Amino acid sequence: MEVLHYFGAAIGLGLIVVGAGLGIGRLAAAAADGIARQPEATDKITGAVNLPLFLLEGVAILAEVFVLLIVLMK
Amino acid sequence: MVVSSDGQESGGAMEQVGDNIIHHVSNSDIHHPIFPLPHLFNIDMSVTKHVLMLWIVALTVGFVVILPIQRYVQQRRLIPTGLMNVLEIVVSFVRDTIVKPNVGPKWVNSWAPLILTFLFFIFFANAIGMIPIFDVLGLVNRFVFHVPADDSHNFINGLLHGGPTVTGNFNVTAALAIITFLSIIIAGTKAHGFIQHWKNLVPHGLPGFVYIILIPIEIIGMLVKPFALTMRLAANMTGGHIALLAILSFMAIFADMFHSVSAGLGVALISVPLAAAISGLEIIIIIVQAYVFTLLSAVFIGMAINVHH
Repeated sequence: MEVLHYFGAAIGLGLIVVGAGLGIGRLAAAAADGIARQPEATDKITGAVNLPLFLLEGVAILAEVFVLLIVLMK
Repeated sequence: MVVSSDGQESGGAMEQVGDNIIHHVSNSDIHHPIFPLPHLFNIDMSVTKHVLMLWIVALTVGFVVILPIQRYVQQRRLIPTGLMNVLEIVVSFVRDTIVKPNVGPKWVNSWAPLILTFLFFIFFANAIGMIPIFDVLGLVNRFVFHVPADDSHNFINGLLHGGPTVTGNFNVTAALAIITFLSIIIAGTKAHGFIQHWKNLVPHGLPGFVYIILIPIEIIGMLVKPFALTMRLAANMTGGHIALLAILSFMAIFADMFHSVSAGLGVALISVPLAAAISGLEIIIIIVQAYVFTLLSAVFIGMAINVHH
């Protein structure tokens, strides 16, 4: 039973990757779609995509830190 | 690197590798400081590895950014030369695309200096962390100085084992985030007055019971912003270094698992190019994280100034 937290951490890490990947994928898909429709608005679209992208990345990184804490602190 | 050579010496490479990685990314022990200094207000002022790195970063920023700009401002000719060209591009980029759209044209010149300071400091701290200064020192020590490893009071041994990134230390990024936190309050206070800034946290004109839920949420949100800034930067920097070291440690782990040096060498054919590729990714992350921290600071300061309620 004492290795159970490793399982939890590994599964959590996988879920983080799935969630962050889905989120970033949707953002990138929408941005590519928008740029393909309106190439002249590329700068505006990139600017608008950047901020939610970084906030999303921050959440994923936070979750990874907590996973690391699960492993290190037991 | 140091990790692989240590792991191969004795059994139980798995345990040693984990300890080595943590040792590599964490600060050095306060009880074996690099420069011992006296206590001040009950705080041990001794210089550890990360503090020394902070000084190196500060000196680098001073020589690469502050001195050229001072020299440029004092001269009569307004045409930038050499390094000033790059600095001018960066400064105008930050002012025009990060600060101005978020903070607004009225307050650009009050907040652009702070945002630029963040950018330069974080960029140089991240970038110097990727230069293996102390690992090269370890190599030189091994072949030239021959300082024994068990001499824990030696100056060089205090420096060894670790290419520290100061922004990978949560205390450093927490200090940076606290500066952002205070500047959010100062920005709101300067733009709207002290009382009005705190009133602006929640939208007005809602029914009373909504405020019971909304005010705690907004207070939590106010505190989460700097916390997320702290974690994002430090975790990105620490995570990159841990990934690099873990991939390099596969050499030691495999050599230990099969009890042969050639197994380690075989894995090295894969893991060393992979580590080089991840180093390339890290260089992108260095720039992106410096940009992200400054962008988010500008956005948060701008949110306090331009309230949309």
